[in-house]
Amino acid sequence: MIPGLYAASSGMEAQQQQLNAISNDLANDSTPGYQSTIVGFQDLLYDTGGATSGSPVTTGTGAAASIIGRSQTQGSIEQTGQPLDVAIEGDGYLEVRRPDGTIGLTRNGTLQVDSRGQITTDLGMALQPPITLPKGVAPSAVTIGSNGTVSVGTRKLGKIALVTVPAPNGLLSDGDSLFSATAASGATRPATGATLQQGALESSNVDVSQAMVTMIDAEESYNLASKALQYQQQMGQIANQLKSS
Amino acid sequence: MNVGLNIAAAGMLAEQVRQDQLSNDLANASTPGYKPQTAVQSSFGALLLANTATGQQIGSIQTGTDISKVVTDTTPAAMQQTGQPLDFAIAGTGFFAVKTPEGVRYTRDGQFSSSAQGTLVDANGDPVLGQNGSPIQVGAKGTVPASALGVFNLTGAQEQGNNLFTGTTAGRGTGSVEQGALEGSGVNAIQTMTEMIASLQDYQSGQQAIQSISQTLQLSSTDVGAVP
Repeated sequence: MIPGLYAASSGMEAQQQQLNAISNDLANDSTPGYQSTIVGFQDLLYDTGGATSGSPVTTGTGAAASIIGRSQTQGSIEQTGQPLDVAIEGDGYLEVRRPDGTIGLTRNGTLQVDSRGQITTDLGMALQPPITLPKGVAPSAVTIGSNGTVSVGTRKLGKIALVTVPAPNGLLSDGDSLFSATAASGATRPATGATLQQGALESSNVDVSQAMVTMIDAEESYNLASKALQYQQQMGQIANQLKSS
Repeated sequence: MNVGLNIAAAGMLAEQVRQDQLSNDLANASTPGYKPQTAVQSSFGALLLANTATGQQIGSIQTGTDISKVVTDTTPAAMQQTGQPLDFAIAGTGFFAVKTPEGVRYTRDGQFSSSAQGTLVDANGDPVLGQNGSPIQVGAKGTVPASALGVFNLTGAQEQGNNLFTGTTAGRGTGSVEQGALEGSGVNAIQTMTEMIASLQDYQSGQQAIQSISQTLQLSSTDVGAVP
């Protein structure tokens, strides 16, 4: 076994994960409430490598990338004029009930009204606790206060609850702009510092120029690790040719 | 025994270790707070050659080389702004301390986050320690003042993987903690590539030397005693 060969390939793999994360971020540049991915790199175990005569010498066995969590930076607020669009300002999530009954968290505030008058997300998941518009009330007549109070005229219909968790990096990303609370994130609790803005959406917090720079950096590092792999391969070839004809 | 064969082979083995270590450096070109390693070569003991007939000393011959140790270069690397509230970097010397199940370990990778219990933890979920050796609580707004983090002066730093080091601490490090930034990898890509090329050439030279000696040995075994 040639340890350096595996060290180099682990480096390529780690950069590949970084590139995958950036691709996903860039693809979601227009997804409201999307939070960009934070990738962390770590070195791996140090082994007693190679054959040495003296004291054992340790060499590293490569690198690994892992997703640390999501950036909690506030995305910019964009006015849409849609009465049921809400943007979250501050640290908080909307609570929705999935079709399977479990609770999901989202920052994508593209809300709508379903056939029964319930306020749901654009994927038809009802807000939790549920809020239902009375028959005959058009969505344009709905007022959503900054504290989440939903009312029609002077009549209160309910309150959109904003929640947060102690460790947002521990949230499980389920796709569809949804997250689940886990043991690592801690249980949800009411968000104190967050407010809602009606008629607006929070843009994704992907910093495109920063993502491009990171992408170039990852490509270069991938290239370097692949060069290391080539050198290791060449060493193997040289060793194989030790006994000439 | 042919001394030359062993010298050349020892040189090739040393270059193999060097290449492994350079590969690891390049693989960690993006690892925050990574410290590159330098392989130190030293020569084996020299042999004193003497004329077997008269006992007259001819002189000494070196018997090759090996990697005697790998030194970690703890020079601070360039800092990168990330804007993340729980990313920290040390400007200057010193290490953060984390409490792992195996004991206190040290790191220059300040990519921390909050645990479910609200303590500041590293990427492995181990609590980060303050200067007094106790865990740090993340504030209600999800931030920690830079002054809360301990900076320890570490001697004899040795890599353990997972961006952690062991070593002996001696008081406070002189570096100051900066928030919203990470220390980049200490790997200098150009320098590492150059060393790789040089090492490969040395490796190839070793192979050539072995081939030459092998040919000489072959000639001496087939031609010297051959009947013309």
